[in-house]
Amino acid sequence: MFDKDRMEEIERRRREWEEGTLKRSRERFGMKESPTEFYSPAEVKDFDFLEKVGFPGEYPFTAAEYPSNLPALRIRGGVSALLVRAGRYSGYGAPEDTRDYYNYMREAFGRRGGPNIAFDLPTQCGYDSDDPVARGEVGKVGVAVDTLRDFEVIYEAFVGESDLDKIASNWTINAPCNVILAMYITLAEKRGIPLDGLRGTPQNDILKEFVARGTYIFPPRPSMRMIRDTITYCTEHMPSMNTISICGYHMREAGAGPVQMVAFTLANAMAYVQLGMEAGLDVDTFLRRFTFLAWSTGMEFFKEIARARAARRVWAKIMRERFGAEDPRSWMLRGAGGMGVPTHTLTAQRPLNNLTRNIIVGIGNALSGAPPMVPVPYDEPLGLGHSLEAEQLNMDGGRLLQFEARLADVIDPLAGSYYVESLTDQAEEEIWEIIGRIDAIGGAVAAIESGYMQREIARSAYEYQKQVESGERVIVGVNRFTGENELEVLTTRLVEHPYDPVKRAEAEEKQIKNLAQVKRGRDNGQVQATLKRLKEEAKDEKVNLIPSILEAIKAYATIGEICGVLREVFGEYQAYNVAA
Amino acid sequence: MEMVQKMLAGSDLSLARLITLVERDAPEVPEIMGSIYPHLGNAHFVGFTGPPGGGKSTLVDRLTAVMRRRGFSVGIVACDPTSPFSGGAVLGDRIRMQQHYLDKGVFIRSMATRGSRGGLPRAARGVIKLLDAFGRDFVLVETVGVGQTELDIMEAADTTVVVLVPEAGDTIQTMKAGLLEIADIFVVNKADREGADYLGMELEQMLRMSSRESSWQAPVLTTQAINDIGTEELYQEIERHREVLRDTGRLSLRRQEQRKGEFIETIEQGIRARLLELVERDGRLMASLERVEKGEVDPYSASMEILTNKTLLQGWLAELERER
Amino acid sequence: MAEERRIRVLMAKPGLDGHDRGARVLTLGLRDEGMEVIYTGLRQTPDKIVEAAIQEDVDVVGLSCLSGAHRYLFPEVVEGLRERGAQDVMVIGGGIIAKEDIPFLKEKGIDAVFGPGTPVKEIANYIRENAKRK
Repeated sequence: MFDKDRMEEIERRRREWEEGTLKRSRERFGMKESPTEFYSPAEVKDFDFLEKVGFPGEYPFTAAEYPSNLPALRIRGGVSALLVRAGRYSGYGAPEDTRDYYNYMREAFGRRGGPNIAFDLPTQCGYDSDDPVARGEVGKVGVAVDTLRDFEVIYEAFVGESDLDKIASNWTINAPCNVILAMYITLAEKRGIPLDGLRGTPQNDILKEFVARGTYIFPPRPSMRMIRDTITYCTEHMPSMNTISICGYHMREAGAGPVQMVAFTLANAMAYVQLGMEAGLDVDTFLRRFTFLAWSTGMEFFKEIARARAARRVWAKIMRERFGAEDPRSWMLRGAGGMGVPTHTLTAQRPLNNLTRNIIVGIGNALSGAPPMVPVPYDEPLGLGHSLEAEQLNMDGGRLLQFEARLADVIDPLAGSYYVESLTDQAEEEIWEIIGRIDAIGGAVAAIESGYMQREIARSAYEYQKQVESGERVIVGVNRFTGENELEVLTTRLVEHPYDPVKRAEAEEKQIKNLAQVKRGRDNGQVQATLKRLKEEAKDEKVNLIPSILEAIKAYATIGEICGVLREVFGEYQAYNVAA
Repeated sequence: MEMVQKMLAGSDLSLARLITLVERDAPEVPEIMGSIYPHLGNAHFVGFTGPPGGGKSTLVDRLTAVMRRRGFSVGIVACDPTSPFSGGAVLGDRIRMQQHYLDKGVFIRSMATRGSRGGLPRAARGVIKLLDAFGRDFVLVETVGVGQTELDIMEAADTTVVVLVPEAGDTIQTMKAGLLEIADIFVVNKADREGADYLGMELEQMLRMSSRESSWQAPVLTTQAINDIGTEELYQEIERHREVLRDTGRLSLRRQEQRKGEFIETIEQGIRARLLELVERDGRLMASLERVEKGEVDPYSASMEILTNKTLLQGWLAELERER
Repeated sequence: MAEERRIRVLMAKPGLDGHDRGARVLTLGLRDEGMEVIYTGLRQTPDKIVEAAIQEDVDVVGLSCLSGAHRYLFPEVVEGLRERGAQDVMVIGGGIIAKEDIPFLKEKGIDAVFGPGTPVKEIANYIRENAKRK
């Protein structure tokens, strides 16, 4: 960046400054060390713009995944495109309740597009609603789905202008992903919609379930086989269907540090890429259908921004150099965004401070190669549903950053900042170091089997907690700046449409009845036959199980029955890598 | 004692609470141990030791399943280290034994090492006895596996299984002698990993060169506990070792030694506690203790002063008279 | 010489909820507060938790649930302990628990409920002051 003489002069002047101007100031205030730092070109001596940053949408993607923010910023009727999904992440109770909810949201609030379905825990863990271990959980954190019948009911809210070939669906489903996918395929077939017109995104990121979120069923290796099946089946039959949404978010929420989150996410992603390549698929073809639900963020502004930039750069290098992908689109950390979403930093104490936190992150998003998205309504940690006020403040926050502050006008405006580039280099180095450690263990799957990632995250979570309790890490209004004059902060509770608590409470009973009715009406001999075939095929590692799962779904076999026979063949994962 | 009677009648709650008393070295312990004594001697004690991370818990878990299939009841004592900083502990072995949580034929107790310096808590031997009295056919004891000084497991166990992993090759060199002394059975676990065959060969070679008694040649087994491979064979070797112990009379000899050791140890402990109590009450002796601490007098001369102190010993006698 | 008394705690995740950050942090935190902590792992049914609490003879059972199933799961554990004669074991709960549910849980025998972000020290002190068994 600078010629040698000039750089030497900068270094010399820096020393002079430290010994002169800075020292005098320190002494005047009686400080041994300066509380602030200053970065000069001397800290990024080998900075090479094309190598380190590049142009937006080009290798190494440090600036941004896309050449411009245009598509994400397109405003429909004054409402950001990000906020008009039919339900965002939603779903509760019995399928009927969720269907009614989606219909209501469309009529009352103009929500368009496909749903982003939240499933309840029994569904996510492959148990039927009438299973004893499901007691108390049916319809709680999402909608209960046992059989094809339930998908038929939910999607009654999506017909005509919103039929399956006109919407994209999101399913937060991992271990039994292929069962849910089979339901969607069958539904489309029944409606006469060709498979190649289906769009959607299943989460299907089982590795982070082992590490952070806990809704696994089978051990890691057979679980990976199921994902291989998704990738190969979709590549052949459903070219517009995303096959996986690789998540860093949940690992951060579970306690991972910023760099740990990135390294673990990329290590997991590499394992998925490996799957597709081992199945003999062309990497540039199947990778187009990988997406990332990437980052949860802390509040350390520049470090988090640097980590987001470094993540894009590392991934581009991995894909181009390690896997030899040739299509530049394969080098992108598709959908990963910028600084991210600060859910774990939000506080129930003085909840309005969360608005400030979110605005800071919104600015960070705009400065890290993403649109100025203000992520979470401030009343999120109160757990009562977002109030209309909080939602409006959120939306207006983004508009304000875009239209008044004009933060969306320039992509990656921090490029070339001595400080940010040096932080980005440092983050990259740390990411490679962790990836190296995982490589040495034998890759992400082996690292998870050995409990490495789980232990590291537990350790980080505990460190964080200790820092908060000791006051070393300040959280305003929680461990500092609290006092006797605490104000009672009133937040309003106009919620656009909360889930009906009565329906939610009654869901278990209702869904068990629904399930019994399906079981009475179906051909049980046929169900048994399809399950038997599934079990046989499961024993042969090479077979893709989706066709036989489809047969079972068509016969109205339940998710518990299907996962049950697979449990018999694959075994069940027992997580016992406790923190220590 | 009522709690002992309930335990003998099959109450696991009473068993659990008796274990707690033994673990705390409560005043009732001699009475408890005395009253269970007639019910001892049926269980076979198997100790598992070896470096941490070798998969001992998983091996114990799978072996328990083998024993349960054969209709035997099992008691498990799983030990983890006490934190030297806080005195607390994370007891993380039970989590690997989840398949047995609801099986009445399996009783699992996690213990922290507390004051013990080795891999076995001081109270472990008492706990093993309680599980024996409770009627368990097998009592499996898993030590912390801190490394070289695991000899205490030998004193408590009838059969000692040393569990190693291929990566442990280097450590073997440094613990050779100790290991050979302890092990009745060697297990090379995680045998799917590189170096397993080599470690197995190395162990065999060491065993051939050792001069241990000839009635039992410690076998070297390879297992993959996580995949339940080799556990059946491990069970059979334990069974075979038990038979050899019985047939050669070594089991009863061992039990004799154990009883004698316990007898002397209990007396020692009693005397020590009593003596210290008496010393503490005697101003002059306390003063000499302080001088020892400061280094003004050597410990040997000072101890002779106490052991030959007539007033002290007479005081003790007088107290015994009064108690009677 | 009798050992000093150590408080034993069973940290349990009842139900299907897999978010165990809180349970893990508390496991380590209570260890550093001088307690012996046994963590059961995920997906425990109430009867498994009761069985472990009995065998391990703990002073306290800590239940963590973020899925909303606490109204069913927590009382089941208390009830199970009572049936087995271990009503002197303290049961505390945590996770995402609505304020309105706390009186219900207390009535069902849960001794205390701690929300997200409660300092470990506060929980440890509560346990030390209120553990029912001596």
